[in-house]
Amino acid sequence: MSQVTQIAQPFNSHIPTESYDAIVVGGGHNGLVCAAYLAKAGKKVLVLESRHILGGAAASDEIFPGFTFSVYSYVVSLFRPHIVRELDLTRHGYQVIPLECTFTPFPDGESMTRCGDPEATRREIARFSPTDAEVAPRFSLAMTQMASFIKHLIDSPAPDLTALRISEVAKLLGLGRRFKALADGGKYVFTKLMTMSAVEFLNLWFESDRLVGPMSVSGIIGTFLGVRSPGTAYVLLHHYMGEIDGAFRSWGFSKGGTGGVSLACARAARSFGADIRTQAAVEKIILRAGKAAGVVVRGGHEIKSKTVISAVDAHQTFFKMIGAQHLDADFVQQLKRFKYRGSSAKVNLAVDRLPDFGCKPGDGPHLRGDITIAPGVEYLEKAYDDAKYGNFSERPFLDIVIPSLTDPTVAPPGKHVISIFVQYAPYHLKEGPEQWPAKREALGDTVVDTLAEYCPDIKDSILHRQVVTPWDLEQDVGLTEGNIFQGELSLEQLGPFRPVSGWSRYQTPIDHLWMCGSCVHPGGGIMGAPGELAAKTLLKSS
Amino acid sequence: MNSSTSNAYDVIVIGAGHNGLTTAALLARQGRNVLVLERRSTIGGLAAGEEFHAGYQTDGVLHDSGQVRARVVKSLDLKSHGLELLQGRPSFLALDPRDRGMLLGNKERRTANEINFYSPEDARQYHRYRKFIRQVAGVVNRIFDELPPAMDSSDGRTLWDLFKTGFALRRLGKTTMLELMRIAPMSAADWLNEWFENSHVKAALAGACLTGTFAGPWSPGTAFNLLLWECSAKYSIKGGPRSLIAALEKAVQSRGGEIRTNAEVSEIQVSGGQIKGLLLKDGEHIQASIVAASCDPRHTFLDLIQGNQLENWQEHRMQHIRGTGTTAKVNLALGTQLEFIGRSGEKIAFARTGCHLDHIEKAFDVCKYGRFSAEPILDIHIPTVSSPDLAPPGHSVVSILVHFVPYGLKSQWDQDQIEKLGDTVVAALEQYAPGVTDAIVAREVVTPVDLEKRYGLVQGHILHGEHALDQLILRPTPECARYHTPIKGLYLCGSGSHPGGGITCGPGVLAASVIAQA
Repeated sequence: MSQVTQIAQPFNSHIPTESYDAIVVGGGHNGLVCAAYLAKAGKKVLVLESRHILGGAAASDEIFPGFTFSVYSYVVSLFRPHIVRELDLTRHGYQVIPLECTFTPFPDGESMTRCGDPEATRREIARFSPTDAEVAPRFSLAMTQMASFIKHLIDSPAPDLTALRISEVAKLLGLGRRFKALADGGKYVFTKLMTMSAVEFLNLWFESDRLVGPMSVSGIIGTFLGVRSPGTAYVLLHHYMGEIDGAFRSWGFSKGGTGGVSLACARAARSFGADIRTQAAVEKIILRAGKAAGVVVRGGHEIKSKTVISAVDAHQTFFKMIGAQHLDADFVQQLKRFKYRGSSAKVNLAVDRLPDFGCKPGDGPHLRGDITIAPGVEYLEKAYDDAKYGNFSERPFLDIVIPSLTDPTVAPPGKHVISIFVQYAPYHLKEGPEQWPAKREALGDTVVDTLAEYCPDIKDSILHRQVVTPWDLEQDVGLTEGNIFQGELSLEQLGPFRPVSGWSRYQTPIDHLWMCGSCVHPGGGIMGAPGELAAKTLLKSS
Repeated sequence: MNSSTSNAYDVIVIGAGHNGLTTAALLARQGRNVLVLERRSTIGGLAAGEEFHAGYQTDGVLHDSGQVRARVVKSLDLKSHGLELLQGRPSFLALDPRDRGMLLGNKERRTANEINFYSPEDARQYHRYRKFIRQVAGVVNRIFDELPPAMDSSDGRTLWDLFKTGFALRRLGKTTMLELMRIAPMSAADWLNEWFENSHVKAALAGACLTGTFAGPWSPGTAFNLLLWECSAKYSIKGGPRSLIAALEKAVQSRGGEIRTNAEVSEIQVSGGQIKGLLLKDGEHIQASIVAASCDPRHTFLDLIQGNQLENWQEHRMQHIRGTGTTAKVNLALGTQLEFIGRSGEKIAFARTGCHLDHIEKAFDVCKYGRFSAEPILDIHIPTVSSPDLAPPGHSVVSILVHFVPYGLKSQWDQDQIEKLGDTVVAALEQYAPGVTDAIVAREVVTPVDLEKRYGLVQGHILHGEHALDQLILRPTPECARYHTPIKGLYLCGSGSHPGGGITCGPGVLAASVIAQA
């Protein structure tokens, strides 16, 4: 908190009256990245964040005295390295500590630990399947190849598939050429990757359910799909694309929690002269002659601006801040069918000792990476089936990290914070989403019970527990239907279709209103790319 | 055993199903000397009528013949061989245990009236839905009639084809073009939710795209199957699939083509990467330089070809073709006519269960865990409505495709499970057609395992491999997608190739066009 006050002031402490070149609505990491780029180019920028802290879903907060949590988003991997360079984020405190290990306990007392040491990982996988152990490096290589192919798509605005203009057609041809340049095997893998389910894609390589199960979960994070639903293989890649110091496939913790990334972006923006205000909830975007001309902040303050850039999701932007009556009916219809339906929750625990896994007792490297409760494909598929009919999973998939082991500053000495990502917790409960507050603790109990099947003493070690349901994500962070990616990352909602066909390039049907959040290409995750691409597109156009 | 040494045939087709016969007929028409080898004693494969009980016949395992490509009928002049292709797809009744259901047919206004009974708003939407289908049908149908793009599109013709398709797509206008691309990866449920409000209406429309696949209405990619079906199902064949087979048989024979039944191929002999001949199960050897296989590609490459004729990676791709059967068949011989609730006296030839998308999805769910649902989805055909001669006078035949019955049943397919499936199906049908149980004269239950044994369907998959985005277009594998294969002289011409399974004859036509140039 104290860090925030050094960078940003509460809105009411000094109400800005003069007008700006650009107002960024929402101080999440994308809004801050966008603001930093614009300020760096000499624009007069104001960032307005409704909460008391910065970072949106990538925020750190001291929820219980002495315990700092990455309340929502908990690991970093996708953040684009060139943004770190261009905004000099390292100087502003950006520091990501790689997560070296993935540990999967199984109900029968077995476990699998995959880590940065290839030989140790090979031996570990070979315990379950010698062929899989041999195939694993080839798989990594193929994914790295795919990631570097797709990187071009992520680092530039979505291709315009309907283009007739020479420059756009040339871009499409360039894409085709890059595809042609892939080796034959690469093309095959790419077509499968874009169309298959995570499980089936992994089955092209691996035979062991113990490996395929935990590997497949990267394909479903944040989506309302199962590991066997076609289209999830692509999301798998999305999560393989992390680059930390240029090395693909790595996840990491941000120093001080994921809010650290946002704060680094905020400091960079500040250093270029951007004005950042917290507790400034934007209620309306002012339209003059159909064009965006500023915003109204809660309390009725109007601030003028030449451009308004929204970092919040499309639903909030257009239905809450603009109003459907100002929009074309067809556009409204397309906005309405953009799917959110959040499917994940978060449970944060403050504990007085480290969890002790029955299958791998004591402390060790396995606790320093992520711990995945995903013991098999059938387990995951059943978890999804529960959600399809409006229930949270009886036995959910859990992705657990213990950041206090890597970054002791987040918990008092000897104590720890445990961050648990939970899926599936569908926003649309069959009783209705507004029933979430009544079910919140039941979800928390289910999560702890699930974990206790692998480490029985966890229950006694809990000092505090926070359960963040999709309903809470919507109420507290403003994510519509609690979707952590500001809209589902399914194939029909990617690239040129995100969030509305033909409006993926940061501009909107309202003149001078732009979008820069995860709901535009290339989508969610702590990536920074939508913010960066929006700023660069805007600068080029003016 | 006679061992022929002369190369008497220009082309040998393996399998006398609708696709094999189509390829054979088209090539025979071009003057090629064609031989068709059929393993069973009857021709027709999944489109063959079967006498499952003395005096009672079905008109095919598959019964939807509305997708047959009109160009096949035209270019083979099947009309002169007795085929009558009727415009408009047959009506089917979307069943409702509590009510008279919804008769969805070819006539848009009449269908809207039926929908109106469930939801006036959806009846209005139905006109818009049909309008959209009409708008895109032309482009979508190109998919059925064109060669798939080659993965390495370097030759001029391929690029030109690609350009033409792209141009046709673009001519729809920017909005419609993007809309088509957006729909393709969606789930049928999501797409139908965008159009309609009533759960019964949505379930009724979704049913068509789930035949034979390991996918429920919530599985992404099913919207594409639905769109393909909506755009392509335009006809009905008088007399059903067996009339198509009869006409194709005549088309082959009228041009001197030969069809041999009880001729099972046991080996495709290859030497130096080239087809040398075929070895039949009875020991006969037939020389061949061109072979078109209409059987499942996995059977062709993994069973019939011996030795290491494929590169490792090619074999790996074949082994990983997804296609585990999810469809069973139950045939009922009834001593009466079948009557559905609220439809007495109406002639209903096609009907389907599943009143709610969740109901269909739940039937699919259990299949994932190796069980079949207590409420399976039934795709019902009553062939005796249009062909009373398939049963004794006054009697009828009910031919049912049962969806979401796993090939790999967890508890194995023994006699108990077979009877259990039969009982489950009859009990489900009883809800919609009270009294049916007492009218049963005979019952035949054909599990996916039986389908494999009887028709040579690998893992009992009636489409020769899943119809999902990853296996459409570049079907079955990228290197075999244009009907020729890594083995010189060997072509694929069955449902395992583009545009896939079902009675379309599409693969047969496209394969013939490629072979004709060889």
